[in-house]
Amino acid sequence: MHPERWLDIARLRLRSLVRRGQVERELDKELRFHLEQETDANLRSGMTPSEARLAAIRRLGGVARIGEECREMRRTGYIENFLHDLRYAARTLAKTPGFALVIVLTLALSIGANSAIFSVIDGVLLQPLPYPQADRIVRIFFSSHTFPKFPMNPLDLRDVRARNRSFGVIAGITRDDHQLSGVGRPERLTAFAITAGYFRMLGIHPALGREFTTEDELPARGKQVILSDRIWRTRFGADRQILGRTILLDDAPFTVVGVMPPVAHPGNEYHAVADGDTVDVWTPFTFHEDNGRGSHFAEVFARLKPGVTLAQAQADMDAQVAQLAREHPGTTRGWRALVLPLYQELVGPIRRMLLVLLGAVGLVLLIACANSANLLLARATARQREIAVRAALGAGRSRLVRQMLAESLLISLLGGALGAGMAVGGVRALVALLPADFPRATDIHVNAAVFAFTFLIALATGLLFGVAPAMQAARTDLQQVLREGGRGSTAGARQLHLRDVLLVGEVSLACVLSIGAGLMLRSFVNILHTDPGFRPERVMTASISLPDAKYQKPKDKIGFYIRLKRHLGALPGVRAAGLGSDLPWTGYDDNISGFTIEGRQPPPGQQFHARYHAASEDYFRALGIPLVRGRFFTPHDDLSASPVIIINRIMARMYWGSEDAAVGGRITFEDHPKPADWFTVVGVVGDVKDRPNSAAATPAIWWPLLQTPFGFPEMAIVVRAPRDPAQIAAAVRGAVQSIDPELAVADLKQMDEVAGKTFSTPRFALFLVGLFAVLAGLLAAIGIYGVISYSVTQRTHEFGLRMALGARPADVVRQVVGQGVRLAAVGIVLGLAGALALGRLLRSLLYHVGAADPLTFVLVAVCAVAIAAIACYVPAWRATMADPMAALRAE
Amino acid sequence: MSKPSDLLQGTLDLLILRTLALEPMHGWAIARRIQQASNEVLQITQGALYPALHRLEQQGWLRAQWRNTETGREAKFYALTRAGRAQLEKELAQWERLSGAVALVIRMAEE
Repeated sequence: MHPERWLDIARLRLRSLVRRGQVERELDKELRFHLEQETDANLRSGMTPSEARLAAIRRLGGVARIGEECREMRRTGYIENFLHDLRYAARTLAKTPGFALVIVLTLALSIGANSAIFSVIDGVLLQPLPYPQADRIVRIFFSSHTFPKFPMNPLDLRDVRARNRSFGVIAGITRDDHQLSGVGRPERLTAFAITAGYFRMLGIHPALGREFTTEDELPARGKQVILSDRIWRTRFGADRQILGRTILLDDAPFTVVGVMPPVAHPGNEYHAVADGDTVDVWTPFTFHEDNGRGSHFAEVFARLKPGVTLAQAQADMDAQVAQLAREHPGTTRGWRALVLPLYQELVGPIRRMLLVLLGAVGLVLLIACANSANLLLARATARQREIAVRAALGAGRSRLVRQMLAESLLISLLGGALGAGMAVGGVRALVALLPADFPRATDIHVNAAVFAFTFLIALATGLLFGVAPAMQAARTDLQQVLREGGRGSTAGARQLHLRDVLLVGEVSLACVLSIGAGLMLRSFVNILHTDPGFRPERVMTASISLPDAKYQKPKDKIGFYIRLKRHLGALPGVRAAGLGSDLPWTGYDDNISGFTIEGRQPPPGQQFHARYHAASEDYFRALGIPLVRGRFFTPHDDLSASPVIIINRIMARMYWGSEDAAVGGRITFEDHPKPADWFTVVGVVGDVKDRPNSAAATPAIWWPLLQTPFGFPEMAIVVRAPRDPAQIAAAVRGAVQSIDPELAVADLKQMDEVAGKTFSTPRFALFLVGLFAVLAGLLAAIGIYGVISYSVTQRTHEFGLRMALGARPADVVRQVVGQGVRLAAVGIVLGLAGALALGRLLRSLLYHVGAADPLTFVLVAVCAVAIAAIACYVPAWRATMADPMAALRAE
Repeated sequence: MSKPSDLLQGTLDLLILRTLALEPMHGWAIARRIQQASNEVLQITQGALYPALHRLEQQGWLRAQWRNTETGREAKFYALTRAGRAQLEKELAQWERLSGAVALVIRMAEE
């Protein structure tokens, strides 16, 4: 339309803002000119000079108001006024530093806590995974009734990969640690065996060289290695000529074919490595035809082809697994496929917990808002005279509202700035507190998004808690306040009502949080008190890994284990020492399906599954796992004796119906067993869950170490000894190295530590929710205290009169405390109802506690009443100090 | 001294624009001209006039200039811009339509 019009407008706005003084002077001059013209006109109509001037002034009306309105018309007034309001607010706040400090600090705490939790959520939930098009990466599992998420068998994986229609790349990985030697001191490396295309699937190219090809997967080859950025730099001096060089892993030569840039490990379930750059080297995943299809240890990742949806991929996999089951009925029947987005697999388990934490910390902020609103309301009442005077001098209602809002914004922005500082420290503390297996912990940073979030919630907070007091102030009844004069202002009924509502809201929110914390505390106690199925106290554990080059045959390995067990058992103070392929509660790696139980048929469409482990004599005794039926292994269960196994109680009950029926039962892993292929169940041991918070134990089989069909290269040492752990650790290390001085002893720790680590996630959630609940309780108590002590101050005359008329201090106390507790009671009832309604959100985080646990509800209610009573007692006691004479004289 | 209602304010804008369509004028003269032209019916309060002038100026419809009056005093003269002229046309058309409609309704009520 008219470009020059916009130029005009821009020029004028800028002028009003920058050359404010001149614009003001011009306005003044303009109005003065008008006054003079009017006076002249009046003179001409025959008035005396003084009459003419007075009439002109009367006609013009309030010069100040016209000026104000003109300024408003120029729009820039908003900015000017806001700056002015801020300055004014700062001055007012500085006059009551205690008040300002309390509000700013409580807000800073709540805003800081919100920002800290948000930065965790931002890093873990909101940031995309650190791979290109990460939303196209999925996990593929086998799934059955007993094992919802099972690793795949390598041969099944190879078939699926060959016939795949839906995926760009399918890759399998399995944990396969190695000991690096030949360059400096020997070091145990975290390593994975990976199939061809694994890094292409992740979308990451090698920094040097290449990744593995399908030819590297042949068992005859498989002696290549890809180095991680860390190992390349720390052990090989970032040598760019390293390709083709041979390094020693487990004393065997491996050729370096590639070096990766820092790669985030996408997480894995069995012998898990937390995601992040924690993998040291990768070797080729080799496919051995003779291993059969019973053994499941490949964890499978895939990248969807462009345009293929998750549902299509799932349908394709279903068809493929059905096809495999037809081809290999003995081993692959009974499985379904499960395709899950990688993001969901990584983050899913803690998503709910993080959202609950965000909710909890959000409640704290709401309570802080209510608290600040209440304190501001109290002050607004005290400032009624000031406000009334300003109104009388011509300040418009909207102007007053803006003034009050500027004050609350100043407070909340100060709180936000301080809170951002607290968040920086808080996030550092949070990350330090995080459970070891917490996904994506390395992605948590305080970044621009977090600061933007902090600023926004500070702004929203200021508006939220500022609006009520501002509206209240604007509604101030001029006449009444000014008439009351020096007698001190009292709150109108409406204002008292609003403050009560805020208080009730505050108390109810605090109750909701406390109940949440209480429920989590109870379920944590339940987890602690669950019978673990073994006795973790005073058990020292360690792990060793025998290099294939030195211990080639199973009997070499077994020979080493026998000697080691003998050494360990002879250590002073040791009650029992054993070796086993796995430790309780660590999650298990090796799983088997498709065995046959003599004289039994699996339910239709299912198969017999179990985890398999190896255990030496005394393994169970050292861990304190009880024998339920039959016997433990003995030194006679060796290759010359007939094959035996021990199973757990759940397996006995699921597959035989009872422990008694299981003992003496026989199973085989062969489709066409010879007599020597049958294993006899000689013992049934108690159940140990995979993880302490697993819903139930799963079927498990142990072979005697001396009879294992293949030598386990990795073994856990278990030593029960009521002695100083440090001494035992040294003794265990000594025992290993007295047999093989080059062998590294890793993961020396006490079993309670392992147990403690598995509690860390619920403990983390409990700690934070508990912290927030305490904060909420504190804020609510301050709120009650504030409201009651304010009302006591207002009613000093009344109390003085009552005392003069014979009321005893106890009566006054009872009355004041009663008033507060009544209000709190309303809040508590609302809070309990709210907690009941919100309970189902918590259910997945609870363990053996109902979301409506009566004990928790009652305890929280009782505590809340007690806290309310205590918060009211101090002002009540002050009320009894009211001097009757002073009160009467004041009247 | 209450604020003029929206209808009156809109009307005031129209009156000011129409008055300035004749020649540039200062605030006092505008008020006087409107009063005279309406046979003393429309008394413009200064409380409404100056905010309206400043608003119209801010919207780019008027341009202000300090000039000397015939009596030699310095006054702020307002003049229509091109955009202001267009705005005047628009408001006039709107006013015709509105007053015509009101007249129709009133006549109908008489019959």
